[in-house]
Amino acid sequence: MKKLKVADINVLIKYDHPTLTKQAQAYLSDFDKENIRINIPDEELDRLQRENPHLSVDDVEYIFTGAAFYEGIINYNGFLLHSSGVCVDGWAYLFSADSGTGKSTHTALWQKYLGADRARIINDDKPAIRIADGQIYVYGTPWSGKTDQNINMRMPLGAIVFLERSTENFIRPITAQEAIPKLFQQTLRPHDSAQMNKLLDVLDRVLSETPLYRLGCDMSKEAVELSFNTIRKDK
Amino acid sequence: MKIKDGFILRTVADSCIVVPVGERSIDFSGVITLNEVGAFLWKALEQPCDKAALLEKLTAEYDVDADTAAKDIDAFLAKLREANLLDD
Repeated sequence: MKKLKVADINVLIKYDHPTLTKQAQAYLSDFDKENIRINIPDEELDRLQRENPHLSVDDVEYIFTGAAFYEGIINYNGFLLHSSGVCVDGWAYLFSADSGTGKSTHTALWQKYLGADRARIINDDKPAIRIADGQIYVYGTPWSGKTDQNINMRMPLGAIVFLERSTENFIRPITAQEAIPKLFQQTLRPHDSAQMNKLLDVLDRVLSETPLYRLGCDMSKEAVELSFNTIRKDK
Repeated sequence: MKIKDGFILRTVADSCIVVPVGERSIDFSGVITLNEVGAFLWKALEQPCDKAALLEKLTAEYDVDADTAAKDIDAFLAKLREANLLDD
């Protein structure tokens, strides 16, 4: 078993395959007592691989350890948002959408136009959001989908943006009521009612305190200027 | 009639929402947002009750005439039935 600190949570975890070994490198840590234990035995990995023949055992290990982590984080005031997270000037901005919509493309354009030193991808696919030390933070985690873009750091959450493709660039603030169904499509939903109540406790605070937007965008520089200038927290 | 088991009604960021849990979350994966009156009726329907009881509760709680209240209740019940959320 190896020891990782992910989102300030002590994770005792078994893994052997290359993708997670590489991604977890920056999260290796030491502690006496774990908060979350993730132990998927080899026989179980093999069984999951046979159930998902399009995936390799390496993929299966990466995906299912991630799912276990994001189930566990619910107990620590946290949740997963399927999104690409970009950090600029001390704030993290999350762009959430279905796979294939262009969230990574949009944050890559932030890097292109703001510079990759100033705009850093904290997690390109599955950042964790967690209330810690009284603040709402976005955390990088080793689980970042198909790309290996994640950074082991935390940054205060600046905004959540639900992104869609559009030939006309537009952005508008949305209410929590509008955001809730979109958010539920982009997170792991607990089936257990105690866990669901914990998630709703966290969402209550996050959605009350975080600016929420709907963005329609193409791949132009104007799209980046519109989103950055609208949602930036330092103006 | 009664709301089916397996749903949680909660206020999140001042919005009333209903989410399925347990077995229910397997066949119903959405989230329902309710306005204030909807949440009031949903809560009433968590216990078995009939339309007359709903009408009495709603007119006692809100400043609304019986005709309007009855129409609101019918519309709400129709939506619940359409989404297969009611046990009759």
